[in-house]
Amino acid sequence: MSAQIPFTVIGGFLGAGKTTLLNRLLAGVEGRRFAVLVNDFGALDIDGKLIARHGGDTIALANGCVCCTIGDSLVETVLKLLERPETIDHIVVEASGVADPGRIADLGVLDERLSRDGVVVVADADQVRARAADKRVGDTVLRQLQAADLIVLNKVDLADDLAVMRCWLSTHSQAPVLEAQHCAVPLDLLFGLDRRGASGKPTPANSFRSWSYSWPEPVDRAALLEVLHDATVLRGKGIVRFRDSPDRRSIVHQVGKRIDITDGGPWSDTEESQLVLLGVRPVLGSL
Amino acid sequence: MSTIVYAARRIVTMNPGQPFATHVAVREGRILGAGSLESLKGWGKFDLDERFKDKVILPGFVEGHSHAYEGGVWKFPYVGYFDRTSPDGKRSAGLKSLDEVVAALQAYEKTLPRDGSTLLAWGFDPIYFTGRRMNVADLDKVSTERPVLVLHSNFHVLNANTPVMAKARITRETNVHGIVKDARGEPTGELAEFSAKYLAYRAAGIELADLLSDEAATWGFAKVAQLAGVTTATDLHNPLPGGTVDGYVKASSSDAFPIRLLPAFAGASVPTSEAIPRLRELMKKNNERLRFQLVKLVTDGSIQGLSARMRWPGYYDGTPNGVWNTGPDELDKMVLDYHREGFQVHIHTNGDEASEVAIEAVEKALVAAPRWDHRHTLQHAQMADAGQFRRMKALGMCANLFANHLFYWGDIHYAKTLGPERAERMDACGTALATGVPFAIHCDAPVTPIGPLFTAWCAVNRLTASGRTLGEAEKISVADALRAITLGAAYTLKLDEELGSIDVGKRADFAILDDDPLAVPSVKLKDVGVWGTMLGGRIFEAPKA
Repeated sequence: MSAQIPFTVIGGFLGAGKTTLLNRLLAGVEGRRFAVLVNDFGALDIDGKLIARHGGDTIALANGCVCCTIGDSLVETVLKLLERPETIDHIVVEASGVADPGRIADLGVLDERLSRDGVVVVADADQVRARAADKRVGDTVLRQLQAADLIVLNKVDLADDLAVMRCWLSTHSQAPVLEAQHCAVPLDLLFGLDRRGASGKPTPANSFRSWSYSWPEPVDRAALLEVLHDATVLRGKGIVRFRDSPDRRSIVHQVGKRIDITDGGPWSDTEESQLVLLGVRPVLGSL
Repeated sequence: MSTIVYAARRIVTMNPGQPFATHVAVREGRILGAGSLESLKGWGKFDLDERFKDKVILPGFVEGHSHAYEGGVWKFPYVGYFDRTSPDGKRSAGLKSLDEVVAALQAYEKTLPRDGSTLLAWGFDPIYFTGRRMNVADLDKVSTERPVLVLHSNFHVLNANTPVMAKARITRETNVHGIVKDARGEPTGELAEFSAKYLAYRAAGIELADLLSDEAATWGFAKVAQLAGVTTATDLHNPLPGGTVDGYVKASSSDAFPIRLLPAFAGASVPTSEAIPRLRELMKKNNERLRFQLVKLVTDGSIQGLSARMRWPGYYDGTPNGVWNTGPDELDKMVLDYHREGFQVHIHTNGDEASEVAIEAVEKALVAAPRWDHRHTLQHAQMADAGQFRRMKALGMCANLFANHLFYWGDIHYAKTLGPERAERMDACGTALATGVPFAIHCDAPVTPIGPLFTAWCAVNRLTASGRTLGEAEKISVADALRAITLGAAYTLKLDEELGSIDVGKRADFAILDDDPLAVPSVKLKDVGVWGTMLGGRIFEAPKA
């Protein structure tokens, strides 16, 4: 299972800040090789000194990341990427401004080499309500918000009335909301911890943290799910022995509102249930 | 400098100064003149060729909206409901039930090597079947060893057998949009849109689009077009990768290539800042039979695919509004970029909201960069109403209407997607004519077969597959329909000064017919035989089935 490449989709309407977020990712990533698939290289702010190779529809960066243009077929671009020899730790796709990012994330379910990670939707705090009321694109904007596992509410400094905005957003999406200016959000929250479970750069300017838990005894499924659904838990990853299936390893993967629990084979008595959570404050005591 | 004068039973010129003639003189691949033999004698020495003396000659047909994939799909077996002609002139009989489809696939499967290679079929159209849908078990009867994929006629949906589903690990637990499941929650093997595209790629190993647009496919397309009397055809949306361009250049450089091909660059496939210089470079490769000059943009999906962008009150059966491929803001920007650089833009719009957005994009571009005779064209514009046609006229736009839809999907539009009133005014040729919007009519091959006489028959008779007349008021005359498939279509491609009518100085591109389409009863228009074509003075006889 660990060989699967996490597959993240960044959605959001034109001008919301998707490219800003991708620029932050490419500038801030350390120790992980991201493949970032975009519609237009031109919008990316890539320091020329960091470009190792530029090959038409692909740019290789000195930090090991690659950027590809999507061109006419996203399916073809992703599948060709998977056939490339170099190791990729994580794939991030920038959805077009009118695409339903949830549909694109389906690719992460369909291909056995991928694991569907989050759908992150960037919303412009100043514009999103007006866009959602537009007779032509309103339904598109609302579909995007509904598809989101996590929402980055960007440009909060420009919003007239943030309290009303928060309330409006909560009626249109169940996803946790990260408020940001210039898409300054911790990358770990969006893209998870790396495979070793280590966090990237510390982000002292915010209150997000990670917590690790382990339990020797089987865990109650309903109790754990209740905790994970707590609005302050933004990401979770772990291998758990549930009381209702004590012989199996249950792999828990959470991005925002989406919680996937998959079977990871027989439980071995030498291990303990382990869970790493990213969130605003510690929520788990003992289960 | 030889001159040949061809005698015909009748020549329909599309030249209002001389609508009919009996002789046409051809020199250097161009029309020296048309008229009586007497009137042509003054041009000097000529050879008289009477092989067409029982035939009727029209300007070569111009198909303004087709795709060269039509030539590629014939590498694979056709399993559609209606009869269809392949590039070699063979007629594939339509398959009228699920059992017939399965039996045809079983027979074909036996001809394939036992190497586990993929069996791909196309053209499947279950909307005409009563009873259950095709499922995995049906295709497992064809083979449980090799992957079997059956593409539907819309190319957005497919059916698969167990090996395909197993390879992609699709089970009842797979919760992905587009995977159809039965009442018990089991996947049926039918897959739509993204999932279908993915599975086709995995099973066949390559992107279908590449497979369908190589040099051989280009030849196949030209031949199937030529069989229908077409001398100029578009490949109206292609990202034009190097391999495809090479195929086009190679095929069209042969004198034996029977059509003039106009590929339209997929204008949203790369940013306009890259697309425009690339298109200019491509235009340097233009030759007599190949023209890069068109740009295509796609706004919405399709009406029958339930993905068209509709204005209020939306779908007749309450289906939510469709999806944007290119949204309004991006469309505004792209139209302006191409418009400013002098390109003509062809914009796919099926729903009436999509048409509205496209019309407004052109309007904004004209305010920002006034330009005469741009001829930006709405492609399909199936739901455009009279008001939209008036706006198109005011803005100098053209329309290319999908008349074949009336026959193939008219019943579905009447009953399910649009309801009676809007179905009866769809593909409004009558309104286009009345408002003075220059228009063509098209087939969108391979979605429906290429055949301008059939397309004209649709616009004239507006009959659905079940025999319903869909909108008496939008019918046009045979003469107007023939103009739409010749000079009308040429106008929408900015080729009307070069071809589209039989006129001095124009290219000697003719459709040579067994009968006079103006003399047969209008319901027989589709049955008029095509003897062959002439392209630039060169004769191409259609193989007889």
